[in-house]
Amino acid sequence: MDATQDRSNRLSVTRAGGQLITDYWDDLFQAREQGKQIVWYNGGALNPIFQAAGLAWCHGEAFAARLAAQRLEGPAQLAGAEYGYNAELCSYARTHLGCSVLTLGNQGHKLAGDEGEHSGVVGINDSAELAARLPFPDFFVNNYAGCSTGQQWDGISFRVFGKQLPIFNISHPFLWGNKPDAGYLRGEEWESASRYVAGQLRELISFLEAQTGRPFDYDALSQAMTYIKRAAELRREGLDLCRAKPAPATFWDWIACVAPINFLPGDQALVDYFAGVRDEIAERLAAGVSGVRDEKYRLYFDGIMNWNKLGFLSRKFAEHGAAVLCGRYIHNAFWQEPQLIDTADPILGMAQHYLLCPTNHGTKTLDYLTLRDCRDYDVDGIVFHSTRTCRAFTGPQRLLAKSAQDKLGIPSIFFEGDVADASFYKEEILESRLAAMLEAIDVRRARGGQLAGAFSS
Amino acid sequence: MTRRYLGVDLGSTTAKAVVTDAGGTILAASTVQMGAVSQRGMQRAVDAALAEAGITADGLDGTVATGYGRRLVPGAARTYTEITCHARGTAAMCPGVRLVIDIGGQDSKAITVDPDGLVEDFAMNDRCASGTGRFYEVLARALECDLSELADLARRGGRDLEVSSMCATFAETEIVSLLAQGLPPADIASSVHRAIAARTLALVAQVGKRTPVVLTGGVARNRAAVHFLAEALGTDVQVPDRPQITGAYGAALLAMESAGRPPAGPEPGSGDVDMSVPLFPGPAGQDRSCDGCDGVVAPAGAVQLGLRTRAVTK
Repeated sequence: MDATQDRSNRLSVTRAGGQLITDYWDDLFQAREQGKQIVWYNGGALNPIFQAAGLAWCHGEAFAARLAAQRLEGPAQLAGAEYGYNAELCSYARTHLGCSVLTLGNQGHKLAGDEGEHSGVVGINDSAELAARLPFPDFFVNNYAGCSTGQQWDGISFRVFGKQLPIFNISHPFLWGNKPDAGYLRGEEWESASRYVAGQLRELISFLEAQTGRPFDYDALSQAMTYIKRAAELRREGLDLCRAKPAPATFWDWIACVAPINFLPGDQALVDYFAGVRDEIAERLAAGVSGVRDEKYRLYFDGIMNWNKLGFLSRKFAEHGAAVLCGRYIHNAFWQEPQLIDTADPILGMAQHYLLCPTNHGTKTLDYLTLRDCRDYDVDGIVFHSTRTCRAFTGPQRLLAKSAQDKLGIPSIFFEGDVADASFYKEEILESRLAAMLEAIDVRRARGGQLAGAFSS
Repeated sequence: MTRRYLGVDLGSTTAKAVVTDAGGTILAASTVQMGAVSQRGMQRAVDAALAEAGITADGLDGTVATGYGRRLVPGAARTYTEITCHARGTAAMCPGVRLVIDIGGQDSKAITVDPDGLVEDFAMNDRCASGTGRFYEVLARALECDLSELADLARRGGRDLEVSSMCATFAETEIVSLLAQGLPPADIASSVHRAIAARTLALVAQVGKRTPVVLTGGVARNRAAVHFLAEALGTDVQVPDRPQITGAYGAALLAMESAGRPPAGPEPGSGDVDMSVPLFPGPAGQDRSCDGCDGVVAPAGAVQLGLRTRAVTK
């Protein structure tokens, strides 16, 4: 693509978020020197609990995404492969496990030895430096819902570090949604699963008290969750404003907002950031400024982000006049139901959000959520990112495509890619399918109605 | 003065060019084999078609490009995807078609079209050469026969051997293994054809089986491939006389239908082409842009054709 043809118009305020994230990681890299205990974790956003416990926290998935976004994932993935994990493993996990190997090597530790030894391949690239900068963990917590790899991920890290460090696992029932009273945020399945996870969060807090030697500060948790709830409300307000035609901001802007809502501390800076996002969107709306110049198509994007390709995909869709507006990863994740949070006693609401991971629903609920957002944003088509190493996300996609086709007459296309491994992305595959879908949307409009069927590619 | 329109399909292994008149009748068509996508191959195909039509590039009233290399075709008013062009061209050649299966050098597609010949749904192979023309080339090489001999060999085969891999590279290994076991090349050839037909059936399953079915692309010239596909689908499979040019023909029809229409802002794919290169210049002053709906909205059945199709029964 020629840069002169760039029709994307990303929010400027997200750059401030970039600085917040950079500062966060820089602080984490120094956490040991600052005398903090460090927890490595994956899955749902436990950071408010860690914040209240006075810990420094490292979300492995987030660090893998950051490396991928900076195109620095290679050395870590090589280290992961050397340790024994090949390219079919979740590339988030593969990258982060590689970081574990590099972190150990960087600090002069010998690998556990039960699954492999250094061959000397890793560490030959200067860019390994960043991947190796994660501070040595004091313990692990796993909080992964809906993905069997995610649930084992910290257990593998536990082995990499010689099975010497404590680990706490939280179990999340899958929300099948197939009981007679089951529905989104309702029914006995939902209520009992929420209580079950909330109980484990209380056990986690006891575990943290044992690790830190301090009583847990519930007031600090309430305070952190008050900020996070407000930030989440502002985020929802901004998302709702993007229903406008043309949309003032796009899915790609919200992708840039994932890191802040996912793991930054609950404080005033977080609220200020999302107030800034909401305000810029509102200003654009008032001024008639759109997120894609000459918006012509409105699309839904299903799939986890292809982090190496954020800017590229943003420009690519905009080049076609396609505003990607909503998607499962944005609208159905990351404190997306702030009304559930009782800031005075936030444990239950937090547990519920961990259960609301977008890979933890049966197809009935996913179908409800997807079609709801397609209607709300009046989308013309769906683009399914068939994430090669995240089958938890891709599993129901064909069913969702068929449902959107049958119930709303909305066409879909599929393209393969990955969260942190660009080698799975094939430009011609996306280009040809996207162009074909847009051509046929033109046909539908010219006829003044819906297509009889939709695309399955 | 009679108007002339050019469609160019620059595929992965062949370049095709078709010239039509204002009624959509094919005046000339050419197919040029290439090693890979090649601007030189494209130019040879265009030159041959123009020569056959008895005109020069100056005599063209519109050009549309499609295929992998569509961005390499200078002077085209715009580009369309192969999906749209194959559907459009095939529907014009075979009125009433509801399912187009196109198997080219590097990819295969199943496209359902509505009664007007417009795309309803499509599915494509997405990550390897499985079930494509390249796969047949691999088979012919492994069996040490010419590609043109492959169909007769396969039709002589009787046994259904297991060929499980659909990766062209691994399938070659599998074929070599079967040969090493002393199994007859004819049985191996027929088994591979059956396996490819089954693979294509999976593609059809994604869009839903419709009839009549038309097979296009270079593989449609392989009578055994058509036979086994018809057998797998459980229905007749029609093949146009010149199955390789349907995409280029569809592109020419789109050029014809969009000629002279006013622009309506930036369009998908319109940025692909270097509009400043006047390789195929139209008449002075003619606006060559078209709006986003042009070309794909007009029903296909109205075009007059002199082409015949043959049907292969399962």
